[in-house]
Amino acid sequence: MKYFPLIWAGLRRKPARSIFTLLSVVVAFLLFGMLQGINAGFAKVIADQHLDRLLTDPRVPGGAPIPIADLQMIEKVPGVTAIAPRAIFFGAYQQPKNGIFALATFPDRWFAVRPEFVMQKEQLDRLLKTRDGIAVTVAMQKQYGWKIGDRIPIQSRILKQSGSGEWVFELAGVFDNTDNPGLGFLALINYAYFDEARAKDRGTADRFIVRISDPKRSTQTAAAIDKLFANSVHETRTQSEKEQAQAQLKQVGDINFFTTAIVGAVFFTLLFLTANTMMQSVRERIPEFAVLKTIGYSDASVLMLVLVEALCLCVFSAAIGLAIAMAIFPTLTSIFGGFKLEWAVIASGIVAAVMVALLSAFLPAWRVKQLRIVDAMAGR
Amino acid sequence: MSAVTQITAVSLLNLRNIPKRVGTSLVIVIGIAGVVAVLISVLSMSIGFRKTIDNSARADRTIVLSQGADSEAASNLSRANALSIVDAPGVKKGSSGKPIASAETLIVAPVARKGDRSEAYVTLRGVGSEAFALRPEVKLVAGRMFQPAVHELLVGQSALAQFADLDIGSRITLREGEWTVVGIFTSEGNSHESELMADADTVLSAYALTSFNSLTVLLDSQASFGAFKDALTTNPALTVDAKTEPEYFATVSKPLNRILDLVATTIGGIMAIGALFGALNTMYSAVSSRSTEIAMLRAIGFGGGAVVVSVLIEALSLALLGAIAGVATAYFGFNGHAISTIGGTVGNSQLVYSLTVSPRLMALGMALACAIGFLGGLFPAIRAARLPVAAALRAT
Repeated sequence: MKYFPLIWAGLRRKPARSIFTLLSVVVAFLLFGMLQGINAGFAKVIADQHLDRLLTDPRVPGGAPIPIADLQMIEKVPGVTAIAPRAIFFGAYQQPKNGIFALATFPDRWFAVRPEFVMQKEQLDRLLKTRDGIAVTVAMQKQYGWKIGDRIPIQSRILKQSGSGEWVFELAGVFDNTDNPGLGFLALINYAYFDEARAKDRGTADRFIVRISDPKRSTQTAAAIDKLFANSVHETRTQSEKEQAQAQLKQVGDINFFTTAIVGAVFFTLLFLTANTMMQSVRERIPEFAVLKTIGYSDASVLMLVLVEALCLCVFSAAIGLAIAMAIFPTLTSIFGGFKLEWAVIASGIVAAVMVALLSAFLPAWRVKQLRIVDAMAGR
Repeated sequence: MSAVTQITAVSLLNLRNIPKRVGTSLVIVIGIAGVVAVLISVLSMSIGFRKTIDNSARADRTIVLSQGADSEAASNLSRANALSIVDAPGVKKGSSGKPIASAETLIVAPVARKGDRSEAYVTLRGVGSEAFALRPEVKLVAGRMFQPAVHELLVGQSALAQFADLDIGSRITLREGEWTVVGIFTSEGNSHESELMADADTVLSAYALTSFNSLTVLLDSQASFGAFKDALTTNPALTVDAKTEPEYFATVSKPLNRILDLVATTIGGIMAIGALFGALNTMYSAVSSRSTEIAMLRAIGFGGGAVVVSVLIEALSLALLGAIAGVATAYFGFNGHAISTIGGTVGNSQLVYSLTVSPRLMALGMALACAIGFLGGLFPAIRAARLPVAAALRAT
């Protein structure tokens, strides 16, 4: 701590230089926080996928949905512990922009295959008992200010047998994803009610969600399921949830490459800038370091002084940059989907700041360490 | 000495001095090169995407969708509707007297990306018999046409380049078995080139569908659009919307374009601010390391204005150097590079397009660099001009 005044004096020597360097580092880490945050968010989506879960879809996308009766056959495959069918229902509440995405399923089965989602027991019972019931995520309920028991009209392109696209559901309860609390937008409705009312594709499901006892055997179990329906009119394709999520993310484009390339460009520039600042600042202070050495500072301690000065500047600025990134991150999630800035990103940012500081200050610090007092004093 | 002579003299002095300060000067050059390269590369995606979509549109073609549908995928037209629409006034007739129109149905087909073979989807467009008369830009470049009632299809050149196993003779598994690729078509690089094409009726029967997604017609002239649209809206049997192709494709490309523009301006903007601080840092240190020289010049009669302008010229020259490096990186690294992202016509199907570094984009990069250089040089320049001569001279 006794060296602190010395370090502070070094930074204050040219305030403009220190401030501009600080601001550049802040900006670099603001970008780092945002881009890596998005990257880590997508990575978390994949990591969150449960390995013990398989998804059975029609073999060809857009192919005929799978008959609901297949459920019993899949259930008997060894290793399958739970299964839930689901059909997709979508529509809009009041205005076209208020899109509602709902899964028509057997809610008790669904919560068994998706244990990361939780719902209070009484509310789940109410949903099961209310044929035209609907359950929504906490975020969705807050957004529209619905109360339990409310009748919710939803306008959909999926038509009823009467030819009408006007569906009305009664809010039976709320649920949430414990992996990502308070962020998801999803609704659940009763398959039995939905299937009986809809005009098309009756008696089918878009997908079966299967839970298995041994994640290590997921490939074999998936193959066993698909074998059941091979050469039938509705062949299936079963994948683990993780494979599915990875493939889906790739559809969007190579996000990882994009963010890494930009972060790389930013850090290259930053390293150059801070290295230059440190070099210049040390060069100007050569005689001062010579004086320090004269009055008894060891080679190692002047080396440390320079390194610590760079560390203070970089880590302090990086912390500001990351804090700003954290503050504005919620506005980004509206575009990229619901996720938070991970603490791991903040931690890796601080590590990166330490690396930048050490790399950029090492050469000047080494130069100060090697300094010969006589030469430095004489200005040679 | 005139102002111009003074400015030239001091500027040349500064610029010739740069090699002695390579390190600090490079901070400006590299910083600005980074900003310009990133901004231009991201915007080149947006421009390439827009170009590919806009290229698909012709003002005398009209697309008819069911009412309220914002895209072909969301639209639904029955066969009876399609028949009465092509009879509406304003539809151009071909040499055989048939209206030039194509009722089309869209399906997603799974394909594998070249390289990592990851899964992707492309649009399979089932087209009517007049489709080639309707879209003269579509040309068969290899193989032959598909036969109706057989599972045969054509592949667009862009799709062929981006995805694996689409050559002539390859088989694609769709509903109702395998479909064979019999030909390859080009379409002036527009969005149709990312698609597969087959006979509409064959696709409908394979997928057990009874209705089309959309109907595109060629009009006698652009001016007939009003009459054509009126005929459709006044027909009580129809609940459809007609849009000219330019209007339709503009709506389709809007959401992705908005995201790309937002990403480019946010990241580019933040980086520009960072580069500005770097430039200020460099120019302040350039000025302070030369304070004695500047004071000397002032003492022998050079004006403050000449000093200000000379510092600005130095900052702008470095900024321009950076801009050229940035534009060159983006142009040689990415221009013409084909990528595919979600953006196709149905579901999450892929659209293939080329990154386009247009002259306007280059000009934008240059302008941004000049703005950063100007602001980064201005304050240090003013400080240099205000330096008290006597104090600065005594400092040595």
